[in-house]
Amino acid sequence: MPPPTDASQPRLATGCRWDAESKTAASKTGTEEYRMILFPEGAIKLQGTGRQVLEQCDGQRTFGEIIAELQKQFGTANPEKIRSDISLFLEQLQKKRIVDY
Amino acid sequence: MSTVPNPLALIAEVTHRCPLHCVYCSNPLELAGTQAELSTAEWTSIFRQCGELGMLHAHFTGGEPLARTDLVELIAAARTAGLYTNLITSGLGLNETRLQALVAAGLDHIQISFQDSREEAANWIAGAKAHAHKIELAHAIRRHKIAFTVNLVVHRQNLDHLEDMIAFIEQLNPERVEIAHTQYYGWALANRAALMPTRAQLEKAIEIVADAERRLAGRIRIDSVVPDYYAKYPKACMGGWGRRLMLINPAGKVLPCHAAEVLPGLSFENVREKALEWIWQESASFRKFRGEGWMPEPCRSCDRRTEDFGGCRCQAFLLAGDATVTDPACSLAPSHSIVESAVREANSDAALAQPTAASSFVQLQKQTTDLWSYRTNPE
Repeated sequence: MPPPTDASQPRLATGCRWDAESKTAASKTGTEEYRMILFPEGAIKLQGTGRQVLEQCDGQRTFGEIIAELQKQFGTANPEKIRSDISLFLEQLQKKRIVDY
Repeated sequence: MSTVPNPLALIAEVTHRCPLHCVYCSNPLELAGTQAELSTAEWTSIFRQCGELGMLHAHFTGGEPLARTDLVELIAAARTAGLYTNLITSGLGLNETRLQALVAAGLDHIQISFQDSREEAANWIAGAKAHAHKIELAHAIRRHKIAFTVNLVVHRQNLDHLEDMIAFIEQLNPERVEIAHTQYYGWALANRAALMPTRAQLEKAIEIVADAERRLAGRIRIDSVVPDYYAKYPKACMGGWGRRLMLINPAGKVLPCHAAEVLPGLSFENVREKALEWIWQESASFRKFRGEGWMPEPCRSCDRRTEDFGGCRCQAFLLAGDATVTDPACSLAPSHSIVESAVREANSDAALAQPTAASSFVQLQKQTTDLWSYRTNPE
């Protein structure tokens, strides 16, 4: 499976979903709040940029739009690095069958 | 104030009744009868407690969970409590209408086990005509928005055509395949001689799985585990005793694992009498092998003690007769010779002379008739 293109619409794969919002409030490590994505045999804990990226993966927004949004937020960082990091992140989750695009 | 982190997942054995009678069933030899089964309301209360403990998953298993007429209600109750719901099933008792109802109730994931790709052999292992129905059901599942895993149970009698079985599963188009070697507890321990693969079979199987992983990457995820009799170190059974998982049996007994009831001198609490949180945190049974205090040498001073937790307590008891010793599957265990001799026997000239891949089903059946004991249903 090739990496996502600008037109890809990343989304959580079938059977993968965010944990209930009601549980999120109580979920903290240190000071930063995290959210969980649940899948058939496990869960991943997300905070920071990873959480931000996946919260945008709603099957509507395109990969291009998601990248543009994050490049705007992290204005000073190297925009190409942001693109390649997020691409790799989604590719790895696709292999685990947690994300589709 | 709790000191032990709460469990992550519940294994809900909702019934021991089952239309299959597999020779390697993980259920205990003594099954809980129908009269003793927890009610809908009791399970609902359990799921609510699990949600309050911050648990993530409820794995519905049995027996055959579909044998519960209230399964749709149970799935809905678990989902309402905030749990991810996983149905582990043979598929017998499931048609399009009921599947639809389960999905509507919030079922997240369904896992169907296949006994073989060849119909005759599959039905023979399961002691029931189930294979054709499972294929039909697999197609029905793909018409719903639900995750699908195929579980393939492998052993001496079918490992030689693993390639065919993987090709067969590909056509069913699941997101995930679990290739599970039989583990020798309960019915599978009773039938071990007929089930344990040879070393040659296993080595070939590992290659085939690695090939399939490469070929199917991004399409089907493969999870596979080497059987522990052939491994250097023991498995981290249940992720450690009382550490991540709890199992509730049909009659409400709360156990750290599927087989724990075989252990002598331990009594297990019942969810009808005590709150789950207390059972997890305080009960003697869950504390018995939690942490490192119970560990003997060589575990106690071993670097791997935080990875495999001394292996499996039930296997230590079943093989070495003592639940407090290092799992005999570990190459460092004083009792490792027990496992070595079982492996030697499985690879002996006499055992190898018996064809593992019988040329016909009838031949296979004849060859193992005396060794087989089928799990039957509880009263």
